[in-house]
Amino acid sequence: MTFAILEQADIWRLFATGLRLTAELFVFAAILGFGFGAALTALRQSNRWAAPLVIGFVEYHRNVPSLVQLLVWYFAVPQVLPAILRGWIEQNLDGFVFAIVALSLNAAAYISEDLRSGFRTLPKGQFEATEALGLSRFQALRLVLLPQAVRACFPALVSQTLSLFKATTLAMAIGVGELMYVARRIDGQTYATFAAFLVPTIMYLCCTLAIMFGGERMQRRLVATGADSR
Amino acid sequence: MIQFSGVEKRYGGYLALRGIDGEVARSEVVVLCGPSGSGKSTLIRTVNRLEAIDKGTIKVEGVDVRDECQNRLRARIGFVFQQFNLFPHISALRNVTLAPVLLGKWPKREARERALHLLNRVGLGSLADRYPSQLSGGQQQRVAIARALAMEPPVMLFDEPTSALDPEMVGEVLAVMKGLARDGMTMVCVTHEMGFAREVADKVWFMAEGKVLERASPTEFFTAPSHPRTRNFLAAIRAA
Repeated sequence: MTFAILEQADIWRLFATGLRLTAELFVFAAILGFGFGAALTALRQSNRWAAPLVIGFVEYHRNVPSLVQLLVWYFAVPQVLPAILRGWIEQNLDGFVFAIVALSLNAAAYISEDLRSGFRTLPKGQFEATEALGLSRFQALRLVLLPQAVRACFPALVSQTLSLFKATTLAMAIGVGELMYVARRIDGQTYATFAAFLVPTIMYLCCTLAIMFGGERMQRRLVATGADSR
Repeated sequence: MIQFSGVEKRYGGYLALRGIDGEVARSEVVVLCGPSGSGKSTLIRTVNRLEAIDKGTIKVEGVDVRDECQNRLRARIGFVFQQFNLFPHISALRNVTLAPVLLGKWPKREARERALHLLNRVGLGSLADRYPSQLSGGQQQRVAIARALAMEPPVMLFDEPTSALDPEMVGEVLAVMKGLARDGMTMVCVTHEMGFAREVADKVWFMAEGKVLERASPTEFFTAPSHPRTRNFLAAIRAA
């Protein structure tokens, strides 16, 4: 009976460590991804010279498979770094860190595009009003323009968050012991393949549904404050 | 207070302002009127550098606007837009407190009280916590005026403040503006409200094709306009 393994506490402990690592990957990459994504949008918005760089960054991350990006960061990039830096990296950084770097940069590219489309919905008068009040560009962006852009593209941001969560599974390719990695190991050791994959499937589903409902609730709250209608 | 000399503004090949001279004195209320496309809005937008000028100089309180740090200049000029341009994601009160708190004009703990004082002045103290979308057009424009006043500017500029309003809301906004004028605020208003001009303005400037053609007291302007273009304009708005 393939489900017999589910009666072993050890198996659940393994799943739990995998789930924890998945959650950590997701949280760190999401925080960095949103921060960096917003910075990219701001950079593109405010600096003519930075725009081509941002475009290049975005196109790389949207058009090269995410798995390739991850492998490039983990295997290829360290090789071209100076020897001292390479030594330090080998001593101190593991796949977990590289996975966060790759996932967050990838997410940042998509998030910055969503935010940019959010900015485009803002009437010119909003920009002018911040100027007429004497706010600096950064103050205007942080307190007036970005919050409105986020509201304008909120559903797209929720969907990016979901994508990022699902993309954490890629980290198994560089040996990060997240949920899928654990599932593969349990499968290899017990041959209870169906159960080994059923458990993470349900866990992933619960998490994505939670993200979705959380997103919908936030969206409703933004509407309730009368903030998204003009 | 505001001095224009030889101001020119060009959009591509089109000359929007063709050599504007003139002065707005302290506590003076100047109404800018004229047909659309005459450069009225462009002219007041050059004062706080929402539009850059190509020739000439503009001085506000003796300082050339191009010599002063842009944001400091703007902080001492209140500007009210035709479309209100309130920030829709924050309450009326926060719209008022935002700039003065950020720019260090108001201490944070006094901000609410001071904003309420201003909102009371425009008759909206009781609606301070509403969001812009929960206010009527006239109320939004009054909040916008309170927001502009929060930086305690010596000059207020109004760019067709009642043109986007339903007719029954025009009066409440004009009443607030009249109050400001009574309190000695220096004001430049682009408006088609000739009643307001007649009652409140010290001077009416008539503009057409990027020039100021006539500058007169309201009585003179409405009863004995000297320029034929002014007479045409007045005849046209009276016919409407």
